[in-house]
Amino acid sequence: MNILRWGLGRVGAAALVAWVVTTVVFFALRIAGGDPTEAILGGPGSQAGEEAVAQARADYGLDKPLVVQYLVQMQRIVTLQLGDSYARKTPVAELVGAQLGSTMLLAVCALVLAWVIALTLATVATRAHGLAGRAVAATIQAGEVVATVVPHFWLGAVLILVFSSSLGWFPATSVGAAPAGLVLPVVTLAIPTAGFLGQVMRDGLAEAAASPFATTARARGASESRILWRHSLRHAALPAISLSGWSFGSLLSGAVVVESLFGRPGMGRLLLDATNARDVPVVVAVVLVVAVAYTVVMTVADGVERLVDPRPRGSARATDRPENRPTDSGTGSGARSSTDAPAEQSPRTEKAIV
Amino acid sequence: MLAARRALTRRRAALAALVPVLVLASCASDPAESASTTPRDGGTLVYATGDAEPSCLDPHVGGNYPQALISTHVLEPLVGRDADGEILPWLATAWEVSPDALTWDFTLADDVAFTDGTPFDAEAVKVNVAHLQDPATGSSTGYLALAKVAEVEVVDATHARFHLSEPDSALLESLSQQWTAIQSPAGIARGTEANCAAPVGTGPFVVESWTPQQQVDLVRNDDYTTVAPEAEHAGPAYLDRIVWRFIPDAATRYAALQSGEVHVIDNPQPDAVASAQAGGDITDIDAPRPGSVNRIELNSGQAPFDDVRVREAFIRAADVDPGIETLYAGTVTRSYSPLSSSEPLATSDDSLFGTDTDAANALLDAAGWTARDGDGYRTKDGARLTLRFPVSTNQSVAAEQSLFEQIQANARSVGFEVVITPLDLSGWYGALAADEYEIVSAPYTKVGPDVLRILYHSDGIIPAPSGYFANHAKITDPALDDALDRAAATTDPAERAALYAQAQQTVLEGFYLLPLYDQQNHFLSRGTTGIRTLHTVSTPTFLDTRLAS
Repeated sequence: MNILRWGLGRVGAAALVAWVVTTVVFFALRIAGGDPTEAILGGPGSQAGEEAVAQARADYGLDKPLVVQYLVQMQRIVTLQLGDSYARKTPVAELVGAQLGSTMLLAVCALVLAWVIALTLATVATRAHGLAGRAVAATIQAGEVVATVVPHFWLGAVLILVFSSSLGWFPATSVGAAPAGLVLPVVTLAIPTAGFLGQVMRDGLAEAAASPFATTARARGASESRILWRHSLRHAALPAISLSGWSFGSLLSGAVVVESLFGRPGMGRLLLDATNARDVPVVVAVVLVVAVAYTVVMTVADGVERLVDPRPRGSARATDRPENRPTDSGTGSGARSSTDAPAEQSPRTEKAIV
Repeated sequence: MLAARRALTRRRAALAALVPVLVLASCASDPAESASTTPRDGGTLVYATGDAEPSCLDPHVGGNYPQALISTHVLEPLVGRDADGEILPWLATAWEVSPDALTWDFTLADDVAFTDGTPFDAEAVKVNVAHLQDPATGSSTGYLALAKVAEVEVVDATHARFHLSEPDSALLESLSQQWTAIQSPAGIARGTEANCAAPVGTGPFVVESWTPQQQVDLVRNDDYTTVAPEAEHAGPAYLDRIVWRFIPDAATRYAALQSGEVHVIDNPQPDAVASAQAGGDITDIDAPRPGSVNRIELNSGQAPFDDVRVREAFIRAADVDPGIETLYAGTVTRSYSPLSSSEPLATSDDSLFGTDTDAANALLDAAGWTARDGDGYRTKDGARLTLRFPVSTNQSVAAEQSLFEQIQANARSVGFEVVITPLDLSGWYGALAADEYEIVSAPYTKVGPDVLRILYHSDGIIPAPSGYFANHAKITDPALDDALDRAAATTDPAERAALYAQAQQTVLEGFYLLPLYDQQNHFLSRGTTGIRTLHTVSTPTFLDTRLAS
């Protein structure tokens, strides 16, 4: 029953998100100036004749009031008939479908790489001891902060300069799933996310190492490795998993920049071109797909979190969900107390973890 | 402890590895692996374009430069043009105009076929003109170019007769453009979607496939028989294939050229052009687009630029030379003409564009802009001397946007407030259509001096149904209109040249525009020979191109 309610809640939330973003995008495009009719007639600055303009407006319903156009657009979304691109005259579903795989491949690879980097760095930083160890930890910490704030376009440009122009190790451009071409875009997209996830995990690991369940495990004679791999990581991964959904959204938006930079086909570039041309059906469709993908990943992340989280599922759970946010991580004690709470409060939980 | 030490060692190793990488990155590309220059037949040329990807490959639809770039390899126009502006035979081998200039007889090449097997003949010419003039096609550029063509009569298979509604001295130049190039009637009959995906022409290459956002694949037309103007050899092209890739970022395109992923790039950044011009294994082709120069136009249709003194004050204060020199790394030449240097009939007058801030201040004082507000801007009757400057970030490259910021600072020194608004292409056209500008930079590409009529005739103020109008300076000068009308109607080349010279002098002396430089159109190539650009729309042709082996 619980799972059903959870599922329905998720679907409802997804529908709400889809409705809000498509509505905002639809009106924002019209407020931004420019005339979508020009997209139909060869692009912005079209000087097509009167007859051609009238015909195009009638064909695409652009002669109707904006509210009617909006309702038509919403009806198309609900019935999943997304219509034709103004600029390409081909079905929007075809255009988006052709680019979906490329962008998802890029974003998923980047998310996986970000996790690998974040886990590695967080583990190294946590296990480092002594003076040299603190220096390593501090370096990693600083690196993570820098990685988090570095813009994709700058990072990508530097990687191209070093690894393509100078060293010639990887191509500067990228198409499809060719592994060599995928390296630089994936790394560009992954590094800021890795920095962000790494901070969250490192905090979690540090807390876990100092928490009562770790002390209990040590007292039982468990090695530090065992504590790390069997207990602490599980504890530390929770907030990172829940933030992965959010990260995936930022990876999709980062794809707009990365795809353009590496000349890689994908939804990001499709969105950019369609926005420039005021190709409303394409923009709405891309945004819709991104919103749905984002919701799906959020849901998956939530599900995985439930699997990994060893704490009992009860009504209390809702209140002790980790609520880490990027700005909280590593700074406030508020984030810590929420993740620490179950371990401290409930001996049963502790036992379950150990 | 051990783990920490190991981690530190790894860290050191990583840092040590990074040092040579950064050193290498800091020096420019090393032409050590320069390819040998022995050309060979066959092979695939990879071209990386930074222009927007067309939404339709048929240049009859809409009609922009990216379409012209690709269609140059696939479609051929009726006539060509040489560097001196002389019209050359292409698909039409000869032509004759009637004394009243209303009838043009074209003789067509008789041994040319489209790549779908359809013969090229007078009927095909008639179908193409009808296609351009059909509202359902949605043509802008070709439609306007052939506005004076009333009808095409098929005399016989190799003779087409154009009947004009009024004389048009620009007809041949209009027909030399890729936007009026001739396509297979059977290809057109397939409908817009199929023809947009793969237009069929008589050119040296054929569109094989188009993968949106990625590339267009072109294969050689083995049956190519056209005698193309200025071609260095007869018969089919040397290359087997062309891969036409869309890579929007200029630095990435250049990196791909350096690393050998691509052979030719367009729209390079000024520093890349400068370094190619300095020597090395990358060759620069400088092919300014025809028609207008890049220029800033002053909206004389409303205050404050309805006063010629205010226009002159702005032009005297803008002081663009130092900015052009540094921002373009010495790769561009300042223009003092409304027309591109590739137009033989361009006239220049540098005496009108000297920087003189004292004169500018005096002119503004005389025009009544005497008061200053708290921010140091001039005011008149309580209104600030503000110039709205919408800038298209799709059309103005980074260097040009920086130049506009310098103009903003220079104009401020005499009391102008310049408000720069960066916009995407649609938003920018929207701002122009709504008349929300005092200054604007709007390039216009067209073969021949007739572009002056489009840009500066008072008819150009009347907006197209989409809201677009070409006369951004809002010039309404009956004498100018008369000169432009007569230039468009005359069949006497000398009279035409004199009238266009007069028209150019009028717009320059009226301080309606500030010419900057040619529409920059550079192509960088590496490991290729035999690339040349058409003297019509300045697009590169790869008919004679070979790859270095």
